[in-house]
Amino acid sequence: MSTIRPRSLPAYLLALPAGLWMFGAVVMPALLILWVSLWGGTAFGPGNPITLANYERFFANASYRGLIANTFLHTLMLMAITGVLGYGIAYFLVMKVRSRAWRTALFLAFIIPFWTSALIRAIAWVPFLGVNGVINQALMGLGITERPIEIFLYSRTGISMAQVSLYTLMASGPVVYMLAQIPPSLREAAMTLKAPPGVVFRRVIFPLTLPGVVIGQVLVFLSVMADFATVQWIGGNKIALLPNLILNFYEGAQLRAAAVVSVVLMACMLVGTFIAMRVVDIRKLGT
Amino acid sequence: MHWRTRSRLMTALLGTLTVGFLLYQWLPVFTLGLLSFSGPTGGTTFPMNGVSLHWYRELIEASIMNDFKPPFGRSVLLAAACSVVTCVLAVASAQAMRGRFRGHNLFFYLLLLGIMAPGLLVGFGVAIMGRLLGIEPAWNTTAFFVQVSWTLPFGFLVMLAIFNRFDSRLEEAALTLGANRITTFRRITLPIVLPGVIGAALFGFTLSYDEFPRTMFTSGADMTLPLAVMAQLDRELTPELYAIGTATTLLSLVAILACTLILVSLRRTARPGS
Repeated sequence: MSTIRPRSLPAYLLALPAGLWMFGAVVMPALLILWVSLWGGTAFGPGNPITLANYERFFANASYRGLIANTFLHTLMLMAITGVLGYGIAYFLVMKVRSRAWRTALFLAFIIPFWTSALIRAIAWVPFLGVNGVINQALMGLGITERPIEIFLYSRTGISMAQVSLYTLMASGPVVYMLAQIPPSLREAAMTLKAPPGVVFRRVIFPLTLPGVVIGQVLVFLSVMADFATVQWIGGNKIALLPNLILNFYEGAQLRAAAVVSVVLMACMLVGTFIAMRVVDIRKLGT
Repeated sequence: MHWRTRSRLMTALLGTLTVGFLLYQWLPVFTLGLLSFSGPTGGTTFPMNGVSLHWYRELIEASIMNDFKPPFGRSVLLAAACSVVTCVLAVASAQAMRGRFRGHNLFFYLLLLGIMAPGLLVGFGVAIMGRLLGIEPAWNTTAFFVQVSWTLPFGFLVMLAIFNRFDSRLEEAALTLGANRITTFRRITLPIVLPGVIGAALFGFTLSYDEFPRTMFTSGADMTLPLAVMAQLDRELTPELYAIGTATTLLSLVAILACTLILVSLRRTARPGS
């Protein structure tokens, strides 16, 4: 017994405002984007004929197709880097740090920047990456290079460097959670049965953390696929990925084209998430 | 090699990795803070050309072109409004989830969608919706509408977690003693979960205050602070932006600190009957 009866009218009434709000602000807009992407004609309004011509035009352009591939490649690379880095950090924090106070301190140092503005964190990379930036000053100061290297700002390298710092926590957080759930006795049992540490990790620890790894990878995948901001600010206008194309079309008042790219992006994200979820389920059946 | 040596080597390796990443993550933020105190002739990178509060003074005495005060005011108001609505709706929907109504799983995923859906697409979709309905976008109407869909799911998750730890035997006791459900909720349930509600409110505030992908499409001519910063960034990067960044980051840090303290105090008090 609690202050709310199961399946009572108040339960529905309490859920209604939030449900309507989310439906109106998230589900409806997504459906509208899908609808607009199918509009023929030129006017803005519900009277347009429905056609696939916008999609045909988009996929006929080789450079747009290349952009989809590029976005995927960039995202996969980020997933690999943040995945390895995030797992290493999670393993260290949970399994290797013995003192509670140290663990809390390190974890806070890891997590706090996540709560500050992503915009500011991206801007903070600019003084680092420029031709006269901190990295180049340090490299020249140490005598590693004589002239400033221009590969950092306005480049894929710079974007990736900033994104690694922004998204590693997402790959790591779920793994931290899963690692903390593993009872120490499991590991001790395996060790007692004379399994070497490498085998304990491969056969016991890693399989148990796999759901966390996959969830982290999905979070990084979704974030990087849709991250127009870091690409725009650190890449200048020289680099564009799929989400930047949406913005370009939108600013050029080409709503249909922007909607097409949005639907393509949504489809990519859904497919990626779907594949990831299958990986977890298959593993669950196996063990 | 003995496995104990290998294990120690692994610890050293992972420790270096972790500390290295933490430095990597924090250095830009500290540099930003340091550079915001550079002299009046200081640029956007080192050398600083002296130490001064010049760029903070610029913020306060700004001209019309790069005056960040009105956007700041709007952002604070908007964040406060989002925070209040998030609180109310988050408590209502978490309480509804306790009522295990038909479709509560679907409802859970609907709210989660607000976190998972990319802001860029949500903002773009709401902009289209506004145009179809003939609504002029403005920071206090359409932007407010879309921002709550971003802050609410986080508040909802916080409240779900809080109600998970909540001991409903306390409610049962009140109900058995003859209090009706509304009184019980008001006098027993709400006071106990209040720290969580405040946490959800602070959460909602910072999320709204920093939001830009959704707001970008829906705020109309009057910009919020992140949008004003983005506009200035498009024109020129100045140490003034570093000053704003530092001030904003400090504000967020204060909010996080408050959140942490609340959660700690919650952990100390809410361990009933175990």
